[in-house]
Amino acid sequence: RSARAAPALPPPPPSLLCNTIFVCRPRGRPSFVVGARTLAGRAAPPSSRNTALASSSSPSPPPPPAARGRALPPMVSRPEPESEAMDAELVVTPPGCSHLSSFKVDNWKQNLRAIYQCFVWSGTAEARKRKAKSCVCHVCGVHLNRLHSCLHCVFFGCFTKKHIHEHAKSKRHNLAIELMYGGIYCFLCQDYIYDKDIEIIAKEEQRKAWKMQGVGEKFSTWEPTKRELELLKHNPKRRKITSNCTIGLRGLINLGNTCFMNCIVQALTHTPLLRDFFLSDRHRCEMQSPSSCLVCEMSSLFQEFYSGHRSPHIPYKLLHLVWTHARHLAGYEQQDAHEFLIAALDVLHRHCKGDDNGKKANNPNHCNCIIDQIFTGGLQSDVTCQVCHGVSTTIDPFWDISLDLPGSSTPFWPLSPGSESSVVNGESHVSGTTTLTDCLRRFTRPEHLGSSAKIKCSGCHSYQESTKQLTMKKLPIVACFHLKRFEHSAKLRRKITTYVSFPLELDMTPFMASSKESRMNGQYQQPTDSLNNDNKYSLFAVVNHQGTLESGHYTSFIRQHKDQWFKCDDAIITKASIEDVLDSEGYVQVAFFSCLYSLVQWHALSVYHSETFPSSC
Amino acid sequence: MNKDAQMRAAINQKLIETGERERLKELLRAKLIECGWKDQLKAHCKEVIKEKGLEHVTVDDLVAEITPKG
Repeated sequence: RSARAAPALPPPPPSLLCNTIFVCRPRGRPSFVVGARTLAGRAAPPSSRNTALASSSSPSPPPPPAARGRALPPMVSRPEPESEAMDAELVVTPPGCSHLSSFKVDNWKQNLRAIYQCFVWSGTAEARKRKAKSCVCHVCGVHLNRLHSCLHCVFFGCFTKKHIHEHAKSKRHNLAIELMYGGIYCFLCQDYIYDKDIEIIAKEEQRKAWKMQGVGEKFSTWEPTKRELELLKHNPKRRKITSNCTIGLRGLINLGNTCFMNCIVQALTHTPLLRDFFLSDRHRCEMQSPSSCLVCEMSSLFQEFYSGHRSPHIPYKLLHLVWTHARHLAGYEQQDAHEFLIAALDVLHRHCKGDDNGKKANNPNHCNCIIDQIFTGGLQSDVTCQVCHGVSTTIDPFWDISLDLPGSSTPFWPLSPGSESSVVNGESHVSGTTTLTDCLRRFTRPEHLGSSAKIKCSGCHSYQESTKQLTMKKLPIVACFHLKRFEHSAKLRRKITTYVSFPLELDMTPFMASSKESRMNGQYQQPTDSLNNDNKYSLFAVVNHQGTLESGHYTSFIRQHKDQWFKCDDAIITKASIEDVLDSEGYVQVAFFSCLYSLVQWHALSVYHSETFPSSC
Repeated sequence: MNKDAQMRAAINQKLIETGERERLKELLRAKLIECGWKDQLKAHCKEVIKEKGLEHVTVDDLVAEITPKG
């Protein structure tokens, strides 16, 4: 028996092999240490930790085989000795503290469950009544101040006023449970302790109670099991993400005037929430033939982009699928990048049938698929009758905002007839470069529809002249702005080369329907509220077109990490500066802005990973 | 107990009995996560622990440190 070799690990389940696993380097080791301890329970006294260090003989995992034929070394670096000790602790899971052993006798599990059910997470109406009545401090009668229950007898005392401490001391009852979150406090250790057995019971009881009360499932971050950690350590697709790494960047081969597609693909693969969706494998394909599913292909594309490979990718399958599902884009002619974006979003949205949108899919215009969640906004159109001033409002979904430019056949300036309309938010047009904000102001200006376009007014019961105004009712998480550089009219087709400058940060508040309403009500226009970030957007991708309508070329700039920009010219990816990006104002056709919240998410993703994976993993 | 405290206690009891307290707590939790508050405080906790060293930090230390920021 003792001579028997350890059995080989069973082959990992497909889901763990197929996806690239990410490890983010924590900023300084202690942040990793926190993660290890919370899983393993209270730290062992220093002497035993040194022992763990000395005896740790597990060999460091071999680096993955060097990518064949590729110039670059693999990204995983050597593990650090301290983290090997952490590995050992993670596996052992010692109990919370030694003082718990006297508690964990006889029927302790049942008793503990009863305490959770009665006083912490009370699911039934009866339990809640009991909790409401009895959970007050036995000393001062108040229910606030971090109430705790003694684990040895029926006593409730507040923590802040030290009433529970007094009880613990006088009765030598060293354990108490906190009634808001169920944490166990040990008066001898003078800290909250984490015992694996108790944690399991606590989680179950909370789940039960919440289910009964209809609160819903609590989101808990995923914690890998021992086995999962093993499998992940041996996964050859493990990649380490540092703040400077280029994972996620890959060139795309031009398959014949396909630069328009390549640029949009670069933008989409760097859209934070979309990236998170695909890298967490959230797509469930319900197509009859998955090989014709564009969402599945996007998923593979993300795998390719985040694989760490640096050679350019050949997106022939993507091109083929786009041709299949968006016939108007088929052929090797140069196409419009913006048109491709809309067509791609449309096909993706249609193919997302299986993903969480069953419940809300009644309205075909606004389902709950990831595309709609990220890209769909609501555009409000108000038509005001000039006679009775009655307003007729409609709200339509949109994936992008197409903006007219100065230099086209329709005049741009003044933004609107009448003196007051060129003044928005106290600012009037200053001659000089046209800005994106100018374009947005024009887009949201009140427009006289003219005597040849009278609208039937339901108030006047007759056709009247009216003004129409567009504003944003609901902002999407990712806002795409399309500058209409290509003019197609009956007589001519031409490209408008007007320079339009755009900012790195954009505040959409002035263009919101709610802002318009406050302006109309004469309310003082609040200065931009720096605490409310809902309407603030950050630029993360720009698609440029250089050349003429007949022969031109698309390139893009995309943002990697928080402040690094890269230029994507088909297969060639080069580092760029913010100035390079902003200087391309003459060529921008599509600009992608993400609201600040989802950029925070990018950081949250990095931080999350650094907790669950030891840096040697 | 003064009237104010009595009122508080009565409201609290009602909230618990109806289960509304739990629902409100969960709503608040969700909102705090959504706006990034939780992540920010979590990051702050880690910094505190890094400074003080894991061995020397109790939950109460953390509570004292992050409450003003929170």
